[in-house]
Amino acid sequence: MTDTYAVELQDVVKQFGDVIAVNHVTLQIHDGEFFSLLGPSGCGKTTTLRMIAGFEMPTSGAIYIHGQRQGYRPPNKRPVNTVFQNYALFPHMTVAKNVAFGLEMKKLAKEDIKRRVGEALEMVRLSGMANRKPKQLSGGQQQRVALARALVNRPEVLLLDEPLGALDLKLRKAMQLELKALQEEVGITFIYVTHDQEEALTMSDRIAVMNNGIVHQVGNPEEIYEHPADRFVADFIGETNFIPVKVVALSPAIVVELNTGERVHAGWAEEGLAVGDNAVLSIRPEKMDLLEPHERPQTPSHNIALIQGSISHLVYVGTDTRHTVTLRDGTNVVVRLQNVYIGEEPWEIGEETIVTWNAAHARILKE
Amino acid sequence: MTTQTETTEFSYHPRWEQFKSKLGGWSLTTYGILAFAFLYLPIIILVIFSFNESRSVSKWTGFSLHWYSEMFQDDRIMLSVWNSLFLAVVSTAIATVLGTLAALGLERYQFRGKTAIDSMFYLPVIIPDIAMAIMLLLFFNMSGIGFTPWKVQFFGVKLAVPYSVIIGHVAFNTSFVAIVVRARLAQMDRTLEEAAQDLYADTWRTFQRITLPMLMPGIIGGALLAFTLSLDDFVITFFTSGAGFNTLPVRVFGMIKKGVTPKINAVSTLMLAVSLSLVIISILLRTRSGDDETVQMGF
Repeated sequence: MTDTYAVELQDVVKQFGDVIAVNHVTLQIHDGEFFSLLGPSGCGKTTTLRMIAGFEMPTSGAIYIHGQRQGYRPPNKRPVNTVFQNYALFPHMTVAKNVAFGLEMKKLAKEDIKRRVGEALEMVRLSGMANRKPKQLSGGQQQRVALARALVNRPEVLLLDEPLGALDLKLRKAMQLELKALQEEVGITFIYVTHDQEEALTMSDRIAVMNNGIVHQVGNPEEIYEHPADRFVADFIGETNFIPVKVVALSPAIVVELNTGERVHAGWAEEGLAVGDNAVLSIRPEKMDLLEPHERPQTPSHNIALIQGSISHLVYVGTDTRHTVTLRDGTNVVVRLQNVYIGEEPWEIGEETIVTWNAAHARILKE
Repeated sequence: MTTQTETTEFSYHPRWEQFKSKLGGWSLTTYGILAFAFLYLPIIILVIFSFNESRSVSKWTGFSLHWYSEMFQDDRIMLSVWNSLFLAVVSTAIATVLGTLAALGLERYQFRGKTAIDSMFYLPVIIPDIAMAIMLLLFFNMSGIGFTPWKVQFFGVKLAVPYSVIIGHVAFNTSFVAIVVRARLAQMDRTLEEAAQDLYADTWRTFQRITLPMLMPGIIGGALLAFTLSLDDFVITFFTSGAGFNTLPVRVFGMIKKGVTPKINAVSTLMLAVSLSLVIISILLRTRSGDDETVQMGF
């Protein structure tokens, strides 16, 4: 339809029997973009990727790769390559043979294959391993072979299905940076499936957050984290406090009332909410602060929320301490404060406090 | 508050414990030796007496290769050896192709009546040879096909092998090959085939470059099993061959009726050697491929 996108999904549905794995998904992925599909297991992200690769056919809807409708085109006729979750290296072939496979299938000249395999192995720093069998390599090395085997074909789009899932934490962190650097170097569109939100935030240009086959939000990492579109996104990405509230006003300012009767302003409200609705106020723990009761400002401002509570739990986690505060209606909120104090932790359990935050950071979401 | 701990009296007599553990060790060793003797003593005796000088199969008089030379000079034995080998080669070749295709079909595709066909494949493995032999015999009699011999030159030897025997051997061997190959196929990671497709291989090239090489240990294992089963088979051959056709086991049976001589020992030793070599080949192939995921069946 349009040729401005590397990959475009239009109203794609995939059903397996009675189960709807992908539910009316529409996505536009730009050329050269690092795009992540993020969601819990079973959210439809892998099915979406497999439909782009051609392993599954959509029940309805259309998939375009560089403006070309894919339809029932089999995987071997699509200009994409995949890095599989378990790498799927051919165990009976050497590393070089694995990497050469795609080029051999394309019937390139022998010298060209040899040169490009050499370059690809150099790119992933495995030149010395060309004649080894996949089993003789470590997990990280196998991962890089899988990457080389896909990239050597210079695909228009590279699909990656949780490629770092099998690696240990430290190696995963290193590979995240390496992958991102590689993507910038080769300039190929990457579509990356992961359930690890931190991984998605670190590497992606844009992220689509999925759950139950539905795309909840598409945006860059900052948008996704700072401005979650709904309760699922706010909950899935990072840590969030949800405080039950009732909507009091939506314009000119958004005002909500807590169960305690305290009223606060908020920066944003989800579409479709009406005055009188029950909703949740979503606020990140690091956006909040604690005040001693006597520190309450003399002149209250709409921009600053001030809610009474008492400290009920303290957990020291190194860079900061998680303060659980019980509000007067029994709701618990977590406030993360950086450990910049000198001497002893300033708060103790049972102490009365005032939880405060900037109204702009609070988002009103449907329950 | 203190909790009361329950105390149990353990009777412990060091010498008695030591004796018990020694006794256990000894009896296990003895049992092991006896079990192996039970299994292998008859074979060892059979092999030893094939080298006996005299006609006796129970009294050792001295070493001689007399019975082996006698065996090699006996045209009827040698013909039956060639018959056995030809039958094993042909039936294994056909059964390996059919069995592998059947395994692929059963493992990879969904179709109506799959469960029924699946269980039918186990039938020749489960039912007694004699039942299968009689079924085949009746079938060949009723249909009137099969007993005509296939006249063929095999390594310069003129053979006449009834089609019925070949069909009979293919009939049971196909099942064994299918079962062995299926076991291998079930272990195979299907994403490997997806990866090949993703790398521009069409269905045929995926099969040729990925599926078939990955299945090879299973196919070879199945073929070796089929070959051995075909060589060793007596019952089905005996019933389906009609008159005048002998494989080695059938020949041996005929000879025994006229009395046992060390020549039979020599023939049996030869068969044992062939079977053993096949097993060794299969083990060597397995270790050489270095594929520790491989769990091969048979033998």
